[in-house]
Amino acid sequence: MKPIVSAHDLEFAFGEGATRRTILRRVSLDILPGEIVLLTGPSGSGKTTLLTLVGALRKMQAGRMRVLDRELADADEEARRTIRREVGYIFQMHNLLPFLSARENVALAFGENSTLPRTERLARADVLLGEVGLGQRLHDFASSLSGGQKQRVAIARALVHQPRLVLADEPTASLDKQSGHDAVRLLRQLARERGCPILLVTHDSRIFDIADRIIHFEDGMIVEPVTA
Amino acid sequence: MKDAFRLAWSQLAHHPVKLATGVAGVIFACVLIFAQLGFKRALYDSATLVQTGLTGELFLVHRNTDTLMQTHSFPRSRLHQALAVDGVTSVSPFYIGTGSWKNPWNASRRATLIFGVDPVSAPIKFPGVRAVLSLLKRDDVALFDQGSRPEFGDVPGALRRGEKLAVQVNERRLEITGTFALGVSFTADGNLITNEATFMRLFRGRALTGPDIGILTLRPGASVEAVRAAVRERLPEDVRVLTHAEFVGVERQYWENNSPIGAIFSLGVIMGLIVGVVIVYQVLYTEIANHLTQYATLKAIGYSHRFLVTLVGAAALILGVLGFVPSVAISAGLYAIVREVAFLPMNLPLDRLAGVFLLTLAMCLGSALLAVRRLRAADPADVF
Repeated sequence: MKPIVSAHDLEFAFGEGATRRTILRRVSLDILPGEIVLLTGPSGSGKTTLLTLVGALRKMQAGRMRVLDRELADADEEARRTIRREVGYIFQMHNLLPFLSARENVALAFGENSTLPRTERLARADVLLGEVGLGQRLHDFASSLSGGQKQRVAIARALVHQPRLVLADEPTASLDKQSGHDAVRLLRQLARERGCPILLVTHDSRIFDIADRIIHFEDGMIVEPVTA
Repeated sequence: MKDAFRLAWSQLAHHPVKLATGVAGVIFACVLIFAQLGFKRALYDSATLVQTGLTGELFLVHRNTDTLMQTHSFPRSRLHQALAVDGVTSVSPFYIGTGSWKNPWNASRRATLIFGVDPVSAPIKFPGVRAVLSLLKRDDVALFDQGSRPEFGDVPGALRRGEKLAVQVNERRLEITGTFALGVSFTADGNLITNEATFMRLFRGRALTGPDIGILTLRPGASVEAVRAAVRERLPEDVRVLTHAEFVGVERQYWENNSPIGAIFSLGVIMGLIVGVVIVYQVLYTEIANHLTQYATLKAIGYSHRFLVTLVGAAALILGVLGFVPSVAISAGLYAIVREVAFLPMNLPLDRLAGVFLLTLAMCLGSALLAVRRLRAADPADVF
């Protein structure tokens, strides 16, 4: 099976000269379609940096990486933006636009160049919000939702445009036990239905059971690939 | 583009107090600009009221005359010389002096402009003047400008009541026999018209000099430029020969270039723009700073930097339009008050509305251009 993400000898550092700090050292990994991969490890070990590189949010420095059939090593901002449109992102702090309703936040994911009419975009957002249990809160401002509800809106936003890859950073960190469990179950269910892989950074051992694979990071290196 | 405007509106409307602050800033700037432009236009319009009300095709003025507030007379013989030019059918002298009017009811004194004209053939079209001009065939009578300031007394009322109204001007007794409508300016509180003989009595010594303006009426169909060239050739260099547009333009140019008043109003417009730019910039900058994470998120999910710039520009334009509309109503009210109190010709023509609207949009877009620099800090890599 052809991997969705294929990284080889990734290296990344912040700073220059004496202040230079290496974050990733010769990291290689493949992620297959439909696979749920968890990245764990201590803070500062490089998990999130890897996530931003895979998500084409940051320019690569060294190594090779193909994401969604595109080479990222020499990709310019436009090429990286093109890849980003096919990725679903879930952030730790949700990052919803507080001045938009839940459905408008979800519909945003269709992007600025969407050829779908606005009514169609909103209709699809409504359907997905219904699936995540927010069918009654479509028109509520994001700022008026609870943490768990916001994360469900964020999940809907990450999936509404049918991405080929989902990246999530600590999606349960700001949620209570029940909300976190619900969010992860929802994420797994929707990802399975749509067949797209999920790369998820987490410290939350409560959700380890959803993973097909857990990758442990330390000091910028993959220490121990574990099959869940 | 539509999405950017919709998003910008949602963002602005979500914080009504901030929105109100931004709109109030634009209103303040627009009203300031409208006021300055209104005063400036009123200055020019009122300063050229006399020139506009003269109907000749060509005008003779002394070469040193730049404004009717400070005219230099020229020899009357220049009119006769001009009359000899082919194409000129009549010439008419026009005298200007500043006199002292004594209010007949309370004896207070005001400065007034006095025009000396030929009561038979004076080519003037001040509103209402044609009907009463022949009354000036008698000496020691004058026509009163009903647009004069109220401090001159209720002269029109007295005339309507049929009262015989004798007044003192330059310590001479004149009878007011009729009215016309011209209006005040920044330098003249009132106006009178007399015949030439009366004018000479009011201004002793002027008989020795000539008129301040020579009004030339041309044969119908004659080329103004050709006749002007012929008159120019015939007359010595002590007079200038001007078309009507040039005659008005000389006065306007004087106020624009030689008087600080025009520059002060222009400075007021610039101040208004600066105030507007600063306030709108503050609102936009704060909005960007407060939503930097959300902007970075938009970039992360595939939106371009250009979209975000459009979003900020859209917010700026929305503020501009929301501020401009009420500012028109406020300015119209302000103009009405100034017309009532200062008797200045304050009007709100369409070209000024369009001009200020475009200035407002430019002002808001300028603010947006300054504020979008903050967007550079919205790095999608920072949202994880």
